[in-house]
Amino acid sequence: MSATTEAAQAAAPSTPAAPEAIVQTRSLSKTYRDFWGRQKVRALKPLDLEVHRGEIFGLLGPNGSGKTTTIKLLLGLLFPTTGKALVFGKDSSDVSKNERIGYLPEESYLYRFLNAEETLDFYGRLFDMPAEVRKRRTQELIDMVGLNWAKRRQLKEYSKGMTRRIGLAQALINDPELIVLDEPTTGLDPIGTREMKDLIIKLRDEGKTVLMCSHLLADVQDVCDRIAILYQGELKELGRVDSLLKVDEVTEVRARGLSEEAKSEIREVIQRHQGELLSLDNPSTTLEELFLRIVRESEERPGARPQ
Amino acid sequence: MVVETEIIPFFEWLQLAVPFFLTVAVAVAVFALAASYLICAVRYGPLAGGDVVYRVVTTSIKEILQISPRRVFALAWLAIQESVRRRVLVVFAVFLAILLFAGWFLDNSSHDAGKLYLSFVLTATTYLVLLLALFLSVFSIPNDVKSRTIYTIVTKPVRPGEIVLGRVIGFSLVGTVVLLVMGISSYIFVFRSVNHTHEVVLLDDPELVEELPEGERFRTTTEQEHRHVIFEDADGNLATDFRNSHWHPISAEDSPEGTTYSVSPPEGTFTARVPIYGKLSFLDRAGRPASKGVNTGSEWMYRSFIEGGSAAAAIWRFPGITRERFPPEEFPDGIPFEMTLRVFRTYKGDVERGIPGSYVIRNPDKPDIQSSEQIFVAREFYTDRKFIPFELEDEKGNKLDLFEDLVSDGKLELAVKCLDPAQYFGMAQADVYLKADDAPFAMNFVKGYLSIWTQMVLVTGFGVMFSTFLNGAVAMIATLAAIIMGFFTKFVTDVATETVSGGGPIEALIRLLTQKNLVSPLEDTLGNRVAQLLDEGVMFVMVRMGYILPNFRQFDSSDYVANGYNIPWDLALQNLVATFGYLAAVFVAGFFFMKTREVAK
Ligand SMILES: Nc1ncnc2c1ncn2[C@@H]1O[C@H](COP(=O)(O)OP(=O)(O)O)[C@@H](O)[C@H]1O
Ligand SMILES: [Mg+2]
Repeated sequence: MSATTEAAQAAAPSTPAAPEAIVQTRSLSKTYRDFWGRQKVRALKPLDLEVHRGEIFGLLGPNGSGKTTTIKLLLGLLFPTTGKALVFGKDSSDVSKNERIGYLPEESYLYRFLNAEETLDFYGRLFDMPAEVRKRRTQELIDMVGLNWAKRRQLKEYSKGMTRRIGLAQALINDPELIVLDEPTTGLDPIGTREMKDLIIKLRDEGKTVLMCSHLLADVQDVCDRIAILYQGELKELGRVDSLLKVDEVTEVRARGLSEEAKSEIREVIQRHQGELLSLDNPSTTLEELFLRIVRESEERPGARPQ
Repeated sequence: MVVETEIIPFFEWLQLAVPFFLTVAVAVAVFALAASYLICAVRYGPLAGGDVVYRVVTTSIKEILQISPRRVFALAWLAIQESVRRRVLVVFAVFLAILLFAGWFLDNSSHDAGKLYLSFVLTATTYLVLLLALFLSVFSIPNDVKSRTIYTIVTKPVRPGEIVLGRVIGFSLVGTVVLLVMGISSYIFVFRSVNHTHEVVLLDDPELVEELPEGERFRTTTEQEHRHVIFEDADGNLATDFRNSHWHPISAEDSPEGTTYSVSPPEGTFTARVPIYGKLSFLDRAGRPASKGVNTGSEWMYRSFIEGGSAAAAIWRFPGITRERFPPEEFPDGIPFEMTLRVFRTYKGDVERGIPGSYVIRNPDKPDIQSSEQIFVAREFYTDRKFIPFELEDEKGNKLDLFEDLVSDGKLELAVKCLDPAQYFGMAQADVYLKADDAPFAMNFVKGYLSIWTQMVLVTGFGVMFSTFLNGAVAMIATLAAIIMGFFTKFVTDVATETVSGGGPIEALIRLLTQKNLVSPLEDTLGNRVAQLLDEGVMFVMVRMGYILPNFRQFDSSDYVANGYNIPWDLALQNLVATFGYLAAVFVAGFFFMKTREVAK
């Protein structure tokens, strides 16, 4: 295993042009086993991914497709069955990587008997932050997620959306370089969803790297720079959102100010460039269509899709 | 009485304990490494498996060094919050109810009320606190795993050891506070329960006054079903006699109207005697030295018996007898000693009457030089308080000086005989001791609670350690099993080393089913051989468990407090150091279990 690490380190400098990889997985797979070691679920089939510094990377897939499993493997909450996951170049089992990571779990698994302030202060202490820094950071984050009015209330009195917000604040307490969000918008109202998306983009603009997973296509389409589509634990599609959604064979033309006669000769008119050309482009499909098509194809022909 | 094994001085103990600890630690570490390697080799192959083990060990050493106090205390704080949320305060209510109950049912007029109350509160406190420690420690991590709150902990830069350490410290702090409150309320409760005074009754009737022995002036009223007679000592100070394990000082104030007497609260109920124990040896009925007396079969192993009306004697040899240790100013009556003998009757006579015995003080090197025989009466469960005077006489009436004639090399012998033929005296080494001093009772009480504290911390440590890899209920059973096995470690070792006859568990079962006695050898059948072979395997494991598990009986010193003996600092320190030794071991084990655990599984 150390041999592969060395190989990777040797390979890295030889491609200086490549963007810095914050997260790397190398044929990472996970099979859940029961107590007796019998195979239960192959939740993730060998996966190779890279998340680059400063991008928003989305893992997209229907429920049970292995998104959460992937994230847990990256964070060291699960141990890989094969392959390995590297974060900041460190193995996922190395706790010191956590200094620079913020993680918002699927549901906010927080201590219900603490209030918002105590919660953030507690997690701050886990980062060994001194008291003044914790105090400042706690107040900043409570303001940011808009919970100032409820900061002294125990979390067990919080609504789902409020818990989500405090969960997000908790994930940002250490001003992390890599933010891992598992279904960040579930449980949020439309305004909350909008705010969450804006925040994710803002974090990216501050130079942070975001890895999020979602089954909500709109979320992913709105914020992600690159996505990976997982289906039944298998990588189906990987690339930039804009290029994935581009339909190459079709050209879309939109025009204005053409006379009625000209309209009938539209092809000719366009060829001569006499109208005011508004756009000439390949149309995009929606992510929804792409997604449904992948699911359909996968069900017809199981196995990895030709990339 | 309490002390069944000798307590060796702390530093001597340390010289034995540290190498023992290290040996066991190394043995366990080697075993654990080998087992881990085997598991990893099966799972990943022989080379990769070795690599995995190597990396876990090296990163573990790094991570143990990286432990941050701030994180540990954050997690300890969390454990305290959790305890409060889980309503530990209920134990106070339970404890209060227990005290109320005790106030109702315990008899403060019993002849040793102090012991009764003390042993009750100490036992109640021990069980309550240990139960609390068990419940708190065992469910905490499993609950965190179940509610998945652990996800937000282990994805922070928290080292696995900090999770274990934080829990142990947090719950120990909770236990400490609980113990402190219980200790203070117990102290008040016990003192108030036995506290009483009497009125002084002047006996006007000259005839009644005649009845009292000389020096006894008058008596007190009856309170708590007893009354005292009142003495006047040579200096004219008044005091009551010693009855129901206490006495009262009395002050007299003269005024024109007459003398008013006031009786102070009881003294001597709560003591912390500092005994000097001797080495016990025996003479058999013909007067020949013997290593043991007779075993009457009524008591097991520990106590030996001497036959009455014969030359059989029990001889205690006491060390450390010097003039400096027993200056006459502090010990005007001589060296006090206390004697609690068992009485074994071959026929049931008048149980109340007691059996006559005698003792002599003799020179260990020249046993011919001995004091005249002193006669006493031994009663069952009764502690005789006597003195060895500094000036004695031998049989012929010659004067003997204690230090000049009888003490040799700081040693002194006391030989006891039973005078009634067909009766026996039973004795163990700790049944006769010199009373060098009385230590402050309050301090002894604190030391008793310290011994409960060490047990509480141990239970917490083991509970947290087991909960790092078992779910709550199973971790509780495992901890209980460890405690119970800890209670019997000595027995287990004795069985294995054949100090106790009857064989291992399977052989014992065969003997039970075939109704064979414990000593006769089993028939040489194949089945019996297999059974004995299996037993050897079981005992091999159990003896090794015995080395690892804490001997809880050893850690419990509350009996000393209840029985009025000072807990030697040597013992208290040994237990404290041993506790931290166990905590260190438990921490390392918990660390590895936590580190190698797949939290999200
Ligand atoms: N702890 C577990 N034990 C067994 N199977 C699991 C466990 N967690 C998840 N799975 C299974 O693994 C697959 C992937 O789950 P998950 O990664 O949670 O999917 P997603 O997050 O994409 O919805 C599912 O089939 C799920 O049932
Ligand atoms: Mg999920």
